[in-house]
Amino acid sequence: MVAIAVLLGSFGFLPSSMAAPDYLKEVKPLLASRCFDCHGGLKQKGKLRVDTVAAMLERGVVNPGKPDDSELIYRISTGELEDRMPPEHEGALFREHEIKVIRDWITAGAKGPEDEKPEASPEDHWAFQRIERPEVPTIEDSEFKIRNPIDAFLAQKQIKHGLKPQSEAQRSLLLRRLYLDLVGLPPTPGQLESEKTFEVIVEELLASPHHGERWGRHWMDIWRYSDWYGLGEQLRYSQKHLWHWRDWIIDSVNADKGYDRMLQEMLAGDELDPGNHEVVAGTGFLARNYYLFNRTTWLDSTIEHSGKAFLGLTLNCAKCHDHKYDPISQVDYYRFRAFFEPHQIRLDAVPGESDFKKNGLPRAFDDQPGAPTPFHIRGNPSTPDESREIVPGVPELFASFASEPEPIELPVEEWAPGVRDYFQAGEIEKAEDELARAKEGLAKAQEQEGKPKTPKPESPAKLKAKPTEAGKGFSLIDDFERERSDLWKVVGTGWRYQGGDLVQLEPNREEQHVRSVKPHPGDFELEFRFRTTGGPTYKSVGIRFDLTDDGKNSHTVYASAHAPGPKVQIAHKVGGRTNYPAHAKVEMPINENTDYTLGVQVRGHLVNVSLNGEFLIAYHLPNRFPSGKIELMAFDATAEFDSIRVIPLDGGVKLKPPTGGMTKGGVKAPAATSIDLAKANLEKAQAYLQSLRARIAADNAAYRSQGDPEEAAKAAALAEKKYAVAAAKHEVLETSGGKVAEAKKKLASAKKALENPGSKYASLRGSFKALETPKHKEPQYAATYSRTSTGRRLALAEWITSRENPLTARVAANHIWTRHFGEPLVETVFDFGRSAPKPEHAELLDFLAIELIESGWSMKHLHRLMVTSEAWRRSSSNLDADPDTYAYDKTNRFYWRMNPRRMESQVVRDSLISHAGVIDLTMGGPSVDPGSNSLRRAIYFKHSRDQQSQLLATFDDAEILACYRRTESIVPQQALALTNSKVSIDMSQAMADKGAKDPETFIKSTFLRLLCREPTEAELEECATFLTNVPNRARLVQALFNHNDFLMIR
Amino acid sequence: MNPDFQHVIRRRRFLSQAGLGFGSLALNGILQADTPNAKTGGSAKAKNVIWLFMRGGVSHMESFDPKPALTKFAGKSIPDTPFAHVLESERFKDQRVVVVNDANGKQRNKIYPLQVGFKRYGENGTAISDWFPHIGSRVDDIAIIRSMWTTDNNHGAQVQFHSGRHMLDPRVPTIGAWVTYGLGTLNENLPQFINIGPRFFDKRDGHYLGPAFDAVSLKIDPKNPLNFAKPQGKVTPEEQEETFALTNRLNRLAAEQYPEDPVLDARIKSYELAFNMQTSVPEAMDFSKETEATKNLYGFDQKETKPFAQQLLAARRFAERGVRFIQIMHGDGAAGAWDQHSKLKANHSKLARQVDRPVAGLLTDLKQRGMLDETIVVFATEFGRTPGSQGADGRDHHPFGFSVWMAGGGIKGGVVHGATDEIGFHATEHPHYVTDIHHTLLHQLGLDPHALQVPGHKRLERDFGHLIPQILA
Repeated sequence: MVAIAVLLGSFGFLPSSMAAPDYLKEVKPLLASRCFDCHGGLKQKGKLRVDTVAAMLERGVVNPGKPDDSELIYRISTGELEDRMPPEHEGALFREHEIKVIRDWITAGAKGPEDEKPEASPEDHWAFQRIERPEVPTIEDSEFKIRNPIDAFLAQKQIKHGLKPQSEAQRSLLLRRLYLDLVGLPPTPGQLESEKTFEVIVEELLASPHHGERWGRHWMDIWRYSDWYGLGEQLRYSQKHLWHWRDWIIDSVNADKGYDRMLQEMLAGDELDPGNHEVVAGTGFLARNYYLFNRTTWLDSTIEHSGKAFLGLTLNCAKCHDHKYDPISQVDYYRFRAFFEPHQIRLDAVPGESDFKKNGLPRAFDDQPGAPTPFHIRGNPSTPDESREIVPGVPELFASFASEPEPIELPVEEWAPGVRDYFQAGEIEKAEDELARAKEGLAKAQEQEGKPKTPKPESPAKLKAKPTEAGKGFSLIDDFERERSDLWKVVGTGWRYQGGDLVQLEPNREEQHVRSVKPHPGDFELEFRFRTTGGPTYKSVGIRFDLTDDGKNSHTVYASAHAPGPKVQIAHKVGGRTNYPAHAKVEMPINENTDYTLGVQVRGHLVNVSLNGEFLIAYHLPNRFPSGKIELMAFDATAEFDSIRVIPLDGGVKLKPPTGGMTKGGVKAPAATSIDLAKANLEKAQAYLQSLRARIAADNAAYRSQGDPEEAAKAAALAEKKYAVAAAKHEVLETSGGKVAEAKKKLASAKKALENPGSKYASLRGSFKALETPKHKEPQYAATYSRTSTGRRLALAEWITSRENPLTARVAANHIWTRHFGEPLVETVFDFGRSAPKPEHAELLDFLAIELIESGWSMKHLHRLMVTSEAWRRSSSNLDADPDTYAYDKTNRFYWRMNPRRMESQVVRDSLISHAGVIDLTMGGPSVDPGSNSLRRAIYFKHSRDQQSQLLATFDDAEILACYRRTESIVPQQALALTNSKVSIDMSQAMADKGAKDPETFIKSTFLRLLCREPTEAELEECATFLTNVPNRARLVQALFNHNDFLMIR
Repeated sequence: MNPDFQHVIRRRRFLSQAGLGFGSLALNGILQADTPNAKTGGSAKAKNVIWLFMRGGVSHMESFDPKPALTKFAGKSIPDTPFAHVLESERFKDQRVVVVNDANGKQRNKIYPLQVGFKRYGENGTAISDWFPHIGSRVDDIAIIRSMWTTDNNHGAQVQFHSGRHMLDPRVPTIGAWVTYGLGTLNENLPQFINIGPRFFDKRDGHYLGPAFDAVSLKIDPKNPLNFAKPQGKVTPEEQEETFALTNRLNRLAAEQYPEDPVLDARIKSYELAFNMQTSVPEAMDFSKETEATKNLYGFDQKETKPFAQQLLAARRFAERGVRFIQIMHGDGAAGAWDQHSKLKANHSKLARQVDRPVAGLLTDLKQRGMLDETIVVFATEFGRTPGSQGADGRDHHPFGFSVWMAGGGIKGGVVHGATDEIGFHATEHPHYVTDIHHTLLHQLGLDPHALQVPGHKRLERDFGHLIPQILA
């Protein structure tokens, strides 16, 4: 309220210098802006109020006619710091011309209105009142169609203001509105023609799994969903695999989980149902706020956005000083923080994956139950007030229904996540696989040893035979003058054919490549001309061969212009893991913007690599993958590809035999025989499996009372030390050069440790705790955690979702209303404090809030109520509107028509691919690179500061820092995106290809599909004329993509 | 309180989101109607801004505020010099920590000598380091402010320099957004606010003003200067023109069904701009009509200077075409290239070579075309660097005193305003917070910073800054 007063004040009419300043228009707003928060309704410091003239006169701070004798003037104009108002750090000083206004007013007699009311006290603020069911008005006038109480509340106002609402929109437009509103996908022509009743379709859509995707995305906006981001590999914000939380949101919406329950699970799922990952996944909300560098910043985000999203309270305004408008003290801020103080974030292993880089459930847990909460004087972490003890609690005005935190005993899998059955089983399976591979490796090595010196695949006879068989007539030659989809499949962003080259303009480390359509022959030779033009770090450019279709196996030959260590390297990828053998590289300068020709010749397992015709590496490939493909790659690099030539290797060509390890100096590394190495590897794998089993037994004994913990720990310690010896032995054989000594030293100390194994062992680590500071390393954290949780967050969640809480249900109902009706009932959607004036439709809001609560917080109940109201079904056009109604309420405050809304970015993009019939409706799972040509729904795109779809960004994608409401901008880039983007062009082509032959039928069906209405005669004519001038129907489709009625939800 | 309040917000919300030439002008009209203070009343001295920002933190002592005392006391700890008092400043309390226990962002009190000599330039003999000789030669056109300070000792200070708010505060509109919000466009075929060069901490500008006030990012690539400026598929220009025209006609026909629809009107307008931008942006970035002499003035003839020269020539061409705010960012990397925690001499000298000639060329070119009177050039960075050494050969971040300069658009030339102490530690004489630059800029553009606000978003006193009258002509 005060903020408004300020604005009105400064925008107000300025009087001529002679007239006395108007108290209400000029003086009071000044006092309101600087003084009311301490001397008004909220607080009365020094028992002084200045919110009425009467109060000021009574206290004698204003002496009419005598400004120099008025304490008010002294206080606001003195240079004495101790006396000056507002006090230091409490607000801006009065400006000179402002002081003059107040002086002039006092000089003129300090007159104010007779009936001046003091500022309301916070207890009276509308949004702080208990939510009660309002009486539904009875509407007698039969002109007003009342389908449910929403209409009655609105009709009451409309009647009062003499407004005549619009009639219902035509059914096809209504169905479009309904589909886009409830599932975010446009209706198909078949669905448009359906004869089912509107209500039946509503139920079908509410039951559709895509409803969860549509409304899940709305809540992801409000709850600030963001995939992790940072700098390079360093995670700084949010958490990896946060998609688990996204899927939890979608599933919860689909299951119509109570809104209260959702909030509880988000804040305290780990305390509510400890051990149940489906519930714990909700705490992704807390994981999203993770910030590597500064715990206070992290918790500030958590506090601010819990306050705004759930309560509509700007708690953040009380971080440095008491809240200026709301009854929230600075201490309250830190007491709120105390609810969150003990918690930390970790990834829990999920079934089937123990590599936390690949998967894991991001979640909250109480790590330090006793962590004290600081009180920062003026919000400054460097000046904590040590004398204060901060205990969790809520602001006094809302304290009557607060819950007391009660500590919760956690089940073992919560505090010792390594003992989860699936995790133990998964670790054993991995170790057994490793063992099997080691056995196989040994068998192969023995087989090879027994063979003649030239291995079979390279025997001269075979060499001649092979190319003529497999590679007959094969050639892959391209100068990249233009796109050749018959030769290549291009994956990833940033590829362009320009200047006679294929160029990669956007360096990144994602899967980006140009893959041959056909497999290459087993024996081949390849010549690849390219230039590396830049890139952030590694600047690697080269080729892959033997690439299997799943991308998990291949051999790569590349040149890296990485400044600290440029090189040409052969790397292997097996089962998705890449290996860069030290003896398959040559360290040498690789320059940017320099032409290179990379030559690769492969015969059987032997590969020769040359650069600019100069021989570099001969190497024996450990394995081959038949029928593999060629791929051109630029990793972390920008590059220009000039040409490539791949042909079968002529049998007559002589390849050089493998060299050993090579460096620039050409030093050969002495290698152990492969049998010795394979044996050592096998022993290592065996020892590992044994130690793993022993460690599991020890964990189970210690944490699950299965067996004697002491004995089991001793056994585990012994097995672990044995493994260390086996591993060190293997390492000694494997390493070469300068590292051998180090490996031998390691072996010696492992042997020493084995002499006295003790009983200390490493528990299995079934989770990965988020680093508290960048200086920490994961292994320094314990594998087990606190056995109790404080129950603080659960108490907070219970308070937020209490029936008595006046804010939670109102805030939620307002959010839901906004997304159905295009405008909120309370404009400041995240601030229901005293700055928010009582809304026009306060009773309607309370009705919706109470319906939400009493339906068991069912959001589907509210959706149903809203979309089946008459208000929602009205036409959004001003056409044929009652002129008086239109003139009176142009901005539709009284909902006499529907508000048209622009489709959100995700809906625009999903509509395009849906209309073209290529949408992939797979649900859930890891986020998809937005630069890929994925046809998944846009909700599954990665969404973070550093990764956002350009197309979505153009259409006001959710701001990742805070997005309580989407903006609906109209900027020229949107037209360019729908005209020039690949997705728009491709989708228009797909629609053009599928459409009817007859132009008129095509035009009509395209209108119906995209706009859900028939074209008018004039439109039909325009389009028909267009098609005679531009015989490309895809362009007609694109013109309609840019149609206002396509982008708007009418 | 006021029953029309929500209505006002809605109207503003709509208008501020319609990011078009006419939208901004209309908005401006409304602002004026509501706020008699929207303009200073004095006539605007400048029309547009070329904003050059050196990312990473330029050493003020080795650029525009040379401090021979550093060489004299090299190797000593500050407490052992006559300047021990600098370590007891109240200003340290203003610092807000973004990264707890960071190895960087410390005060570093072992004095590191100047890494470069300096000469005196211009009528007043202004000292400027030898890494910036070309800018030195233009010193009579520029006003150097040697007494800047800020409160973030990490690179979030880039956000702070543009918005006036600390990295940890909520994001608010940047200076470029406010300028375009306040003034609207001069050319309906071009975006009014553009950015060339890398950004990291915040890639947006408009924030609560809406994305319409975000800078449009352009690249120095005449073939593809703007996202979605070229079809990513097979579409001929003729087809495209026809398609735009058809959309336009269909949207106008739709207006019959949806009369008095401001969104529809705005969309029709935005399509016209979109279509025009497809040709007007590449045209503005096409240097083929520039003479060799002009190009070489900027430094097209040297490999080192060419990239920045291209950006600055583009900047001049955009300014010529009426783009309001041209933001040029220099220095790659997350922190920014100028962040010399080590090897200061090697890297600062290299980076200075990249920008010195192009920037001086820009000033010369603007002047010879008579554009400098109406175009303000700002040369800024997020903070300075420590007088003390970091490691063997670097300087750390230093928010307590640093330099920026401005030229043109009614800024007085040949002026040095404000000062740091003898070792460049604190801004001592006329200290200026970053928003003082904003205030001065807005003032020269004929805007009153206090009039630039929208309901529901309170601006703080510090956001508005203070005019620096001493540098005005």
